[in-house]
Amino acid sequence: MDMSEITDTLGTFKPELIPKETGGNLDDYEDALHVLMKFMGSMSSALEQVSGRGANAIVYQAGKRMGHESAKMMDKTEDLEKALYELSEVLGEEFYFIKWKPDAQDSYVLQKDNEVTVKLLFMDCVVRQTLRRTGLPQKGPLCYLLYGYMVGAVEEVMDLKAKVDIDHVGPNACLKTLTIKWSAK
Amino acid sequence: MVEIIIDEDACVGCASCVEDCPNDVYEMDEANNKTKVVNEVDCMACLSCHEICPAQAMEHRDIHVAKRLYIDRKVNYALKRII
Ligand code: SF4
Ligand code: SF4
Repeated sequence: MDMSEITDTLGTFKPELIPKETGGNLDDYEDALHVLMKFMGSMSSALEQVSGRGANAIVYQAGKRMGHESAKMMDKTEDLEKALYELSEVLGEEFYFIKWKPDAQDSYVLQKDNEVTVKLLFMDCVVRQTLRRTGLPQKGPLCYLLYGYMVGAVEEVMDLKAKVDIDHVGPNACLKTLTIKWSAK
Repeated sequence: MVEIIIDEDACVGCASCVEDCPNDVYEMDEANNKTKVVNEVDCMACLSCHEICPAQAMEHRDIHVAKRLYIDRKVNYALKRII
């Protein structure tokens, strides 16, 4: 078959060859991102339709596994500040967050019994963007992917049990509370 | 710091923003049945109040703007040419 009749981009491949070029330009990346966003959105709503609230648990487990996997190479620490730094490295720019507290509260970190909590404000989030791309509400199953991801990563780095609760969602930022239980491993 | 401006002519006094904001940034001014900003310092710029306000009566200044990769750049480009 003469490929030059079909495409201008011709190349030579050997089985072991890692291509030097990814192929495509920024527009292709954008198109791919939007297709994936639509797929993810559609999968999430179908999952919810079939399994109801069980969808949250499934997506949470998937996220948690990802979190554990991604944080495996990170330094282990019991220091919350360091763990948050590691978490930001795992989550990257696409899930950019900062610590947040009301102005009247002295410290970002609150200690109660054997639990410590810190509020995290997520300014950027790919999940939020995916939901907006597909017209789905926030706090649905897809949000559980990020909860699971965070919990998995924190548990991996700190070797302690963690929990994430959603406080509030908006189109420009979401507030979450991360709880670490010191006694539970 | 975040600055919030309320368009008093547009505000219909529904109090949706007061109920929605988790950080008690707004309060109802019962005298003229409009919302008022009472705790700007705790605004985290989530903008859920923008989504809920039926009158689009508020404006937030000097806030971070989250990435909006869900908007098609081609659509943006076309809009920029029209507007
Ligand atoms: S942006 Fe969020 S925190 Fe700020 S006033 Fe609106 S609802 Fe409250
Ligand atoms: S939600 Fe909008 S219209 Fe309703 S009280 Fe608040 S600013 Fe006014």
